[in-house]
Amino acid sequence: MSPFKQFFNGFKKGMRSFGKNIAIIIDSTLLLIVYLVGVGLTSILAKIFGKHFLESKISKKRETYWSDLNLKKKPIKAYYRQF
Amino acid sequence: MHILGISCYYHDSSATLLKDGKIVGAAEEERFTRKKHDTSFPINAINYCLKSQGITINDVDYVGFYEKPLLKFERVLSQHLEMFPLSLKTFLSSMPSWINQKSRVMRAIRKGLKYKKDVLFIEHHLAHASSSFLVSPFKKSAILTADGVGEWTTTTYGIGEDIDINLMKEVRFPHSVGLLYSTITAYLGFSVNNSEYKVMGLAPYGDMNRKTNPYYKKLESIIDIKDDGSYRLDMGYFTFHYADRMPSKKMCKLLGGPISQRDSQMTQRHKDIAAALQLITEDILTKMLNHVYKVTKCENIVMAGGCALNSAYNGKILRSTPFKNIWIQPDAGDGGTSIGVASYIYHTILGNKRNYVFRDAYLGPKYSTEEIKSFLNNNKIGYSEFNSDAELIKTTAKLIHDNHVVGWFQLGMELGPRALGARSILSNPCNQEMKEILNQKVKHREKFRPFAPVVCEDDSLKYFECDKPIPEPTDFMLMVYPIFKEWHKKIPAVTHVDGSGRLQTIRREQNPLYYDLIKEFGKLSGIPILINTSFNIRGEPIVCTPYDAYKCMMGTGIDYLVIDKFLIKRDDNPQDIWDSEKNAKD
Repeated sequence: MSPFKQFFNGFKKGMRSFGKNIAIIIDSTLLLIVYLVGVGLTSILAKIFGKHFLESKISKKRETYWSDLNLKKKPIKAYYRQF
Repeated sequence: MHILGISCYYHDSSATLLKDGKIVGAAEEERFTRKKHDTSFPINAINYCLKSQGITINDVDYVGFYEKPLLKFERVLSQHLEMFPLSLKTFLSSMPSWINQKSRVMRAIRKGLKYKKDVLFIEHHLAHASSSFLVSPFKKSAILTADGVGEWTTTTYGIGEDIDINLMKEVRFPHSVGLLYSTITAYLGFSVNNSEYKVMGLAPYGDMNRKTNPYYKKLESIIDIKDDGSYRLDMGYFTFHYADRMPSKKMCKLLGGPISQRDSQMTQRHKDIAAALQLITEDILTKMLNHVYKVTKCENIVMAGGCALNSAYNGKILRSTPFKNIWIQPDAGDGGTSIGVASYIYHTILGNKRNYVFRDAYLGPKYSTEEIKSFLNNNKIGYSEFNSDAELIKTTAKLIHDNHVVGWFQLGMELGPRALGARSILSNPCNQEMKEILNQKVKHREKFRPFAPVVCEDDSLKYFECDKPIPEPTDFMLMVYPIFKEWHKKIPAVTHVDGSGRLQTIRREQNPLYYDLIKEFGKLSGIPILINTSFNIRGEPIVCTPYDAYKCMMGTGIDYLVIDKFLIKRDDNPQDIWDSEKNAKD
């Protein structure tokens, strides 16, 4: 392989790795902002109003932890949805 | 009508192809990519399924996905909202894959497969329930599913009747018997979603007495189990809902030490913790099953989800609950949900009658004699060819009886985590040293782990205290039963420390060559039982192609490979193409 081609390949490799690292930094920064502002504010507000997103408490008084599901056949339309 | 079921992006990606209600192809992606528990879009498994039937994606009428991705995303988001700011690290690590991959399932199917027809999504636990009930021999059955977590659900029960399934009740995240098992698995230094079965194998070395095991009471104190088997975990002891490390500091304090390092020596303390976990799991499942029976009044039970792979408990179900019959399919974990979604679409959604029972697990790629011969010739591999099946059986049985380790490659690759006589390593269970030999030569696995026996179904009651009639899941190595005491010393290599064996029973119609080999070995040794362990080394998926098999043999101490009607002797071929020691990892 010619030295020029070798240099060019190495340069391409380096740029790709640089691009990846930059992408990770930008992604992480954006996600951090989303986490602090979006998730954080919602979470704090929810806590102020006593809203819980996970039912994590044990209750000795309850007789059962089974909750109703009733998952059975629905009209076909319902299965096109991802939720 | 062709229906393609897909499961991916969590663990054990897989694809299943249904033709007019019958499974005609199914495989896990890991076997093709050679990455254990591969999570990626199962393009290779899909291509195999289509190719095996000579069709293209345009011939597929429906594609089904094994969960509702947006419901799952809602749960993930709820975890972050509830656990802010502790969940920052997992938010940063998990969100990119959600944005780029997990929320773009439709795009992967439409663009990746170039598929233009209907794509349907069903709930994760419905896919589990269908994967078991709709391919079971039962017209009506109670259903129990339990795994780590699906969208929100971790445990469900219900009833199946003909083509309809009704999942009546659920336990929701973060309370999960599967995640409890995984947490202690992580605590003991094993990998999560991979090594839970090792903890199950370790448990009998510990104190299996509820009164004397010091950790039983401790673990019991962090779970509130109601009489109907429903339960909640004390979340102070767990961190899986916000961190990638599963046990909390509080759990470490409770169990008297830090999280064990990978590959660390297992002490009696570790063994007792594993035993306590197995006991607690059995308590929960027994209470649950008794309750399910009370509600459904049905004598048949089908199970699915990762917890249904707990073969040590499965063997006790018919003795400790009122159920009379049990069914579990071999890929009861997430890998099998592709069966579930495809079957649910064909039967329940489209209203087609059931016409298939899952009795043949050899649903993966198979190779013709010509293909294998040309592979051997093209690679200049030294081999001999058997003139008849009788010669193949006689020679192989003799090799095994002479304490050689034999790779066995026949039929289509098995679906699910267990090798069932298509991609197996076979050896002599009567040799006291065989466990050690297998570990040194091939498997490189933990010393405490037992090897599994395979026995012809008609001989099994002589050696094993099975339920009668022998439940069909035993064919898929899903039930552990006690071995009669008189045989413990005669088949030491497959007798676990508690005198049990995770047996596979084989019926001749399933795999005639394999069945006849075991019988022939019985004529030589007096005991028609073989060691059957998966054809791989630790950390690698089970072999798929002739190339994988040959490579595995040459890189390990497997003495012979019986592949179709050909016999390859390791010593006759140049070795060390592949250093298995270097690659052996968890």
